[in-house]
Amino acid sequence: MKKRTYIYRGFERFWHWSQALLIFFLALTGLEIHGSYTIFGFENVIVWHNTAAWALLVLIVFTIFWHFVTGEWKQYIPTTKFLKAQFTYYISGIFKGAPHPTHKTIYNKFNPLQRFVYLGLKLLIIPLMVITGFIYMYYLYPNNPIQLNGLTNLAYLHTFGAFSLLAFVVAHVYLTTTGDKPLTSIKAMITGWEVIDVDSHEERMKHLEDAVNDSAAGYYRISTDGKIVDVNNTWLKLYKCKDRDAILGKHYALTRDSDDQKILEDMIQKALKGAYFSGVPVTRKCMDGSKAHHLLSMNPVKEDDEITGIEGFIIDIDESAPFSEHVDHAIRDSSAGYYRIDDKGMMLDVNEAWLRLYKYDNKDEVIGRHYSISRNPDELLKLENTFNRVMKGEPLLSSHATRLCRDGSTGRHILSANPVYEGNKVVGMEGFILDISNLEV
Amino acid sequence: MHIKQKPNRNLIKLLILFLSITIPWIIAVIIIGEVNEMKLEMDVPAVNYSVDSTAKVDHSKFLSLQQEFNTPHEVTDACLTCHNMTAQDVMKSSHWTWSRDYKMEDGTTIQLGKKNIINNFCIGIATNETRCTSCHIGYGWEDDSFDFTNSSNIDCIVCHDKTGTYEKYPTAAGYPATVEKKFKEKTFYPPDYNLIAQNVGIPGKENCGACHFVGGGGNNVKHGDIASELVAITRDVDVHMAEDGANLNCIDCHKTTNHNISGNLYSIASVDDNRVTCNQCHTDQPHKSRNLNKHVSRIACQTCHIPGFARESSTKMYWDWSTAGRTNEDGSHIVEYDSMGNISYHTQKGTFQWANNVEPEYVWFNGKASHYVLGEQLDTTGPVQINTLHGDYHEKESILVPVKVHRGKQIYDPVNNTMIQALLFGKDSTAFWKGFNWDIAAEIGMERVNLPYSGEYSFISTEMYWPINHMVAPADQSLKCNDCHSRDGRLYNVSGFYLAGRDRSPLLDKVGFLLIIFAIAGVGIHAAIRIIKK
Repeated sequence: MKKRTYIYRGFERFWHWSQALLIFFLALTGLEIHGSYTIFGFENVIVWHNTAAWALLVLIVFTIFWHFVTGEWKQYIPTTKFLKAQFTYYISGIFKGAPHPTHKTIYNKFNPLQRFVYLGLKLLIIPLMVITGFIYMYYLYPNNPIQLNGLTNLAYLHTFGAFSLLAFVVAHVYLTTTGDKPLTSIKAMITGWEVIDVDSHEERMKHLEDAVNDSAAGYYRISTDGKIVDVNNTWLKLYKCKDRDAILGKHYALTRDSDDQKILEDMIQKALKGAYFSGVPVTRKCMDGSKAHHLLSMNPVKEDDEITGIEGFIIDIDESAPFSEHVDHAIRDSSAGYYRIDDKGMMLDVNEAWLRLYKYDNKDEVIGRHYSISRNPDELLKLENTFNRVMKGEPLLSSHATRLCRDGSTGRHILSANPVYEGNKVVGMEGFILDISNLEV
Repeated sequence: MHIKQKPNRNLIKLLILFLSITIPWIIAVIIIGEVNEMKLEMDVPAVNYSVDSTAKVDHSKFLSLQQEFNTPHEVTDACLTCHNMTAQDVMKSSHWTWSRDYKMEDGTTIQLGKKNIINNFCIGIATNETRCTSCHIGYGWEDDSFDFTNSSNIDCIVCHDKTGTYEKYPTAAGYPATVEKKFKEKTFYPPDYNLIAQNVGIPGKENCGACHFVGGGGNNVKHGDIASELVAITRDVDVHMAEDGANLNCIDCHKTTNHNISGNLYSIASVDDNRVTCNQCHTDQPHKSRNLNKHVSRIACQTCHIPGFARESSTKMYWDWSTAGRTNEDGSHIVEYDSMGNISYHTQKGTFQWANNVEPEYVWFNGKASHYVLGEQLDTTGPVQINTLHGDYHEKESILVPVKVHRGKQIYDPVNNTMIQALLFGKDSTAFWKGFNWDIAAEIGMERVNLPYSGEYSFISTEMYWPINHMVAPADQSLKCNDCHSRDGRLYNVSGFYLAGRDRSPLLDKVGFLLIIFAIAGVGIHAAIRIIKK
């Protein structure tokens, strides 16, 4: 999968271009010191070369730190895997338009050849230049305890390193043109962004891990024998539990009231057989004994096609806060019909869409009447069942229904119904209806 | 993760990157520029420098100096009546003894100095005393019989005369003229001893210069960096002695205690003590630039700060005795001049070469020197080294110093393989300058120094090294980096160590150059194939 990706971070680009400039400048001034030409004048060129050397050293120190802190140093671990393929690509494949044998990803930015060459630079050439350079700068022969027999060999090594770096720069700059387009790689090193192959699995794993850890939903996993195996921080917060270790290994029964156990147990048994649940409103028993409500999802955990447990998320439902204006509007303006019924079956509220679907002109014609007005007698029993179940706290996600409109005509819709809580008590039922009259069944 | 960023935010981020890369460079350029400006404005600080110019006594009031003096000895005796400890100090000094302890290679210590050393100017003083000792601080050193223990023989006033009227006669063994008398074009008068004795003081440039400016028989002949113009010179030639410079006297640097004058001249001296150094006043870290200060441990100040010697009057660079003795047909002396008006040939002395504004040669020097001692076997593989300045790049004590190398051709005995001390100056024709007969001059000369003469003589090339210490130029005239740090710079001949800008490994350069050429060619070919195949 190809994707525009932020591959070179700010510091990385700052380091790369600063280092490039410094190396170029050091080569320019170094060759003047070498006696190859005169640009700055010897006195100035020494000052410039030394200053640039110090700047490079500082940059290198910061960069070493950066590499270790970010773990980017691992990018340079050499590998022989695809090394030959990379060689072959550069000496023949590239001419035939063959694809790159390796693909750049955030976690593997360098091809095996780059790994070797960059590691060689970092471990051999740059240390060689820094060490010989600084000895050259500060070693006063023969007034030192260490006898190097003069600066000749140091100077030759330093010169050799300089030539190697120059040759590297030539090849390096050229090889940047072997990307998708000649300037692709250089643009990427400037902006940080490049269209690269993304290892979707690798990326998903990394992001899912983060998603679960940082989710605003509580996450839980329970083993086949009912023990809580893992929870995330939000779960702990929702359950008012301060210590993860206090809950891990405990039976899930701890999280519910005894009268609520049966429902949960049923769900878990079904999930262990492969069933999925989503958005089930339940009442949890927090660790301090208080109760609260949340939506629960549950799915089996599979390892090699074998179900080894269940897991899911919980999303808190905060009843203490009244419906916000926003939610109120959403319901009122929804194209789905909304209804609310009290515990005696009396209509408390409907929205405009409900009225339209049932062909009423005004809310007042409906509110305060029993829900039985909305059905033909043959459908009424089904609705009564639903009502009774919901009043016990069991939500109904979707069910087909045939409605009885005001003018005696009928229409078909999908119905959702869930309990309305006040504290721990179910005080009514509410839900949405979606018209499906025009659909073939 | 994949967030599409608004273009203007991207631009700002790129700008931040660009600025974070460029701003350090701009700061560096500004700072280094300012440091360079600062360096230009530097003055030269001096430490430990003081001159006591207060007159302590008025010598004209002393009765003993108002007596009638018939001989210069009587003046000396008068001086010593008050300065009654001074004669001992003076007689210990090399100005008096013209010799010092010298350790031979075999470990024995001999007395060596002007009195018995060989040079490649007028060769040596043995047999020629009457002429040479006109520069001795004594009276009457005509031959070996001179009494070095007689304090009356000391010439106090040659150094302490402040009237400027006292002069020794050139051929009178250190005595002034007793009657009005001409030497060459110059007339010498008997001194007014009372005037002189009553006007004595601390020696000035003229006193020291009376001998030191004219070593070798004329102005600036020997040293190259010490000449009569230093009495009144501009900063351009010598920042220290110039009246518009520090206006120093010789003894302001050549500090003197009990008539022991500090400073060694390695054409005769051989040991590393009692030296005068620049850091007496200028410290070991005299520059604002750290890079320049790093040079101090290996490079003598003089090396950079004396870009050339003989910057005013010419100095003698070459003296070929082998051509001496040619006369005009009438027997009169031939005297030829070069374009500068310097004598380029003289019947008595042979062929000379002079030079102005001479670029010094440079040698490693550790403060120790050895000398050819009369009678020693010659090493004839190269020019005979009249003196050798010791030192080596690999030796901590050695620094690079500028030298005047005086080259010559002078008489030697090819059978005994020794240099010859010849009789040059004398009243009869046995002296070479009268009879122009090397054989006789050699025989008498060698007899006098108790060395054998085979009867055969020839001429051999010689070299003598004169460290250059004076005529320090203003800072802006001192050597620039490129004078040495370049392929064909001043240190071209000082090999054996790596000098940035001068040295390189031609092989390594070739390999490196080829490496880059191959890289460029490889890249070019690769790119060409890519373009064609596309």
